[in-house]
Amino acid sequence: MNYHAYYPIDVVNGPGTRCTLFVSGCEHRCRGCYNAATWNPHNGLPFTPQLEERILQDLADTDIPRQGLSLSGGDPLYPANLSAVFSLVKRVKQELPDKDIWCWTGYRLGQLTKQQQRVLSFIDVLIDGPFVEPLKDPRLVWRGSQNQRVVPIAAWLAANHRVDTQSIG
Amino acid sequence: MPEHVIKRDGQTIPFNIHRIETAIVKAMGSVQCHQTHLLPLLCTDIERELSGHQPCDIDTIQQVVEAALIRHRLVDVARSYIAYRRTRDIERERRSKLNDDIVGLISRRNSALLNENANKDSYVIPTQRDLLAGIVARHIAKTQLLPQDVVQAHEHGDIHYHDLDYAPFFPMFNCMLVDLEGMLTQGFRMGNAEIEPPKSITTAAHVTAQIIAQVASHIYGGTTIDRIDEILAPYVTASFHKHLTTAEQWNIADVNAYAMQQTERECFDAFQALEYEVNTLHTSNGQTPFVTFGFGLGQGWQERLIQKAILKVRLAGLGRNRKTAVFPKLVLAIKEGLNRSTNDPNYDIKQLALQCASQRMYPDILNYDQVVLATGSFKTPMGCRSFLDNRQQNSEHPHAGRNNLGVVSINLPRIALLAEQDSARFFALLHQRLALCFSALMSRVDRLKGVKARVAPILYMEGACGIRLKADDDIFQLFHDGRATVSLGYIGLHETANALFGREPHIYDCEHKQRFAIAVVETLKQATDQWRQKTDLGFSLYSTPSESLCARFCELDTKEFGVIPGVTDKGYYTNSFHLDVEKKVTPYDKILFEKPYPRIASGGFICYGEFPNLQHNLKALEDVWDFSYRHVPYYGTNTPIDECFRCGFQGEFNCTAKGFCCPACANHDPQSISVTRRVCGYLGAPNARPFNAGKQEEVKRRVKHLATPL
Ligand SMILES: [Zn+2]
Repeated sequence: MNYHAYYPIDVVNGPGTRCTLFVSGCEHRCRGCYNAATWNPHNGLPFTPQLEERILQDLADTDIPRQGLSLSGGDPLYPANLSAVFSLVKRVKQELPDKDIWCWTGYRLGQLTKQQQRVLSFIDVLIDGPFVEPLKDPRLVWRGSQNQRVVPIAAWLAANHRVDTQSIG
Repeated sequence: MPEHVIKRDGQTIPFNIHRIETAIVKAMGSVQCHQTHLLPLLCTDIERELSGHQPCDIDTIQQVVEAALIRHRLVDVARSYIAYRRTRDIERERRSKLNDDIVGLISRRNSALLNENANKDSYVIPTQRDLLAGIVARHIAKTQLLPQDVVQAHEHGDIHYHDLDYAPFFPMFNCMLVDLEGMLTQGFRMGNAEIEPPKSITTAAHVTAQIIAQVASHIYGGTTIDRIDEILAPYVTASFHKHLTTAEQWNIADVNAYAMQQTERECFDAFQALEYEVNTLHTSNGQTPFVTFGFGLGQGWQERLIQKAILKVRLAGLGRNRKTAVFPKLVLAIKEGLNRSTNDPNYDIKQLALQCASQRMYPDILNYDQVVLATGSFKTPMGCRSFLDNRQQNSEHPHAGRNNLGVVSINLPRIALLAEQDSARFFALLHQRLALCFSALMSRVDRLKGVKARVAPILYMEGACGIRLKADDDIFQLFHDGRATVSLGYIGLHETANALFGREPHIYDCEHKQRFAIAVVETLKQATDQWRQKTDLGFSLYSTPSESLCARFCELDTKEFGVIPGVTDKGYYTNSFHLDVEKKVTPYDKILFEKPYPRIASGGFICYGEFPNLQHNLKALEDVWDFSYRHVPYYGTNTPIDECFRCGFQGEFNCTAKGFCCPACANHDPQSISVTRRVCGYLGAPNARPFNAGKQEEVKRRVKHLATPL
């Protein structure tokens, strides 16, 4: 996986003070996307074990406490990103269980593949759906266009049972 | 012989050789030359020479006279004649500058003058009168009151003698902490009225507004009420008892609940009225007064009620469109065990304050322990950032009623440019300049000697300054012995380091530059300490908020040294010790960068961070506040709080050629938008009233301190 940018301190992508990773690779190609340079999966820099280590360290920092990790892009659920993203979110949840994870994807929550759903189970809040320019509204919080949703995953799972919780590992 | 002479103002008058003769006689007299027998010859000579010029002007006459004197070997007389002429020329130049300034004001041509202070609406008549008075006061101060080396250094831009439009022409001082408690509890006279101690919070708030209006008309800097929640708390109690009595009279079932509800409502209304009054006030200085309220340390229910009222009133906004109030500046004290942490009794006040700061920019915060560390005791700044020291003497209150006598700022980048990359030379020059600053500051102080209390009854006789004098008492007894502060200011530490060591690396990434910058500020501090010992005055070091000065110094230096990358190329100098506004760092990093300075420049400081819209992320704002609590005394958050009254958008407007523009609906009609930016220590509305050019540029270049990828 390549990544576009990593912000050790971020306050605009999710609540509290966060670490935010913008990954490369996105197949939605939304018109009016604010981050079109991230579509090409070969753009940006390789996501290395060193960077993963750095993110874990930043999240654990007590001097400037972080509430959690934000994943954006690009699309963290772009098929080629799934294995790297899966290992990152799993590690964060295992080593720092009190940190929350927010994730922005252009896919719809109800239409995720099995592979994508494996990642979902480590995520606290998913902002789903493509950016639709005519529905753009700067007054919205955490999202760009009105069709997008901010979904707390635990509650959604409880209500929908879409994911077979036994299969998550 | 010419028939007519054209004077400098364009008038034509008949030529008269006797005027020339008189001037020559004067010149001869001044150098003890007795060769008056040469006069007829000289006059014929001059007349003949001038007959070729028809009509002739003053300059030609003077040149011809000089030449004739030298031809007749009267060199000393010629020198004296030239010297006299030069004095006259300077005087004339100044008179015509005075004239130009006045005409510029009337015709609205002089934009530097009109936009000098973002808080003055230069269209209205009282402001124009004030500006006119300022032009005259400045002229007389420069020509008659100040030492000429100080005037020259000011005009030339070596130093800046602040507020010349008021002082030293008027014996006024800068800013103060009003002894509101003393005035309210002991009563006072104002105009023809005897004001008794108030019997309700409504009256107390109203009287407070009256006092502010009066005080602000007699000083030229900021008016601060420190600990307003604690001072006004007794009047909340009085209101409560009043409502209790009413409840009992009317046989209301739950008297306490009724009285409490009525008191809460009255308190909110009282503070709303106070905010309206402060924002609608026009002092005789032609401006809305610079007012600051310090609050937050009170723990009783009355103080808490006031704290909540102040914040809720600010959140509610002014007028139909709920616009952000620009005044008073709100400063909230944060203290561990009181309101800082989740389990503290006033933690709810901090939450409300975070909401308020995210929507209305204020309050800024004072971190209790850090303020004590930097200045010796806790207090709210006078005006936007001027701090008193600790003065625990007798039983007198350590801060209330004390003041600042004024500021002279030093142009540090100029000294660095003159030193030509040589730091030893820089410090040598700096010491020379400091001597000049001392003499400039003493001229401020000396102007207040022998002044009688009757010049400002509200300050000196009715208690605002904490001690009540008789009409003919000298006011100076309130200022000496360190009771008042006198401040040395400084500008452009960032550009100073660049001028000496080159633009790269950036001071943020260069320990050497940082050590140098701290050494400079420590040198300034040592100077003020020495002056303190030499006199009995409270000299202090103040980090100047450079609203118009940031552009002025830079402009003068560009004229003298040209455009120098990293120094004069931006059109403004950076505020005091602040990190260059273009440097992309996190607010946390900025706090750590600026941390060393408030403790050195303890007479005036503030640290800022530039934030994106945080109205939906108060936790992030709280994280930064909490971090600041461990590092800096006084912290303000700049966040986009622009509003579109057409579509309801709140956030940051785009700055376009059409003016400020709503990003959601493209509305740019000044009547239906509200744009608020911090100018120096205060807020301003650049949309309604433009900033001066240098400040506009600086505001445009500010980068958000939370957009820093690894
Ligand atoms: Zn709009």
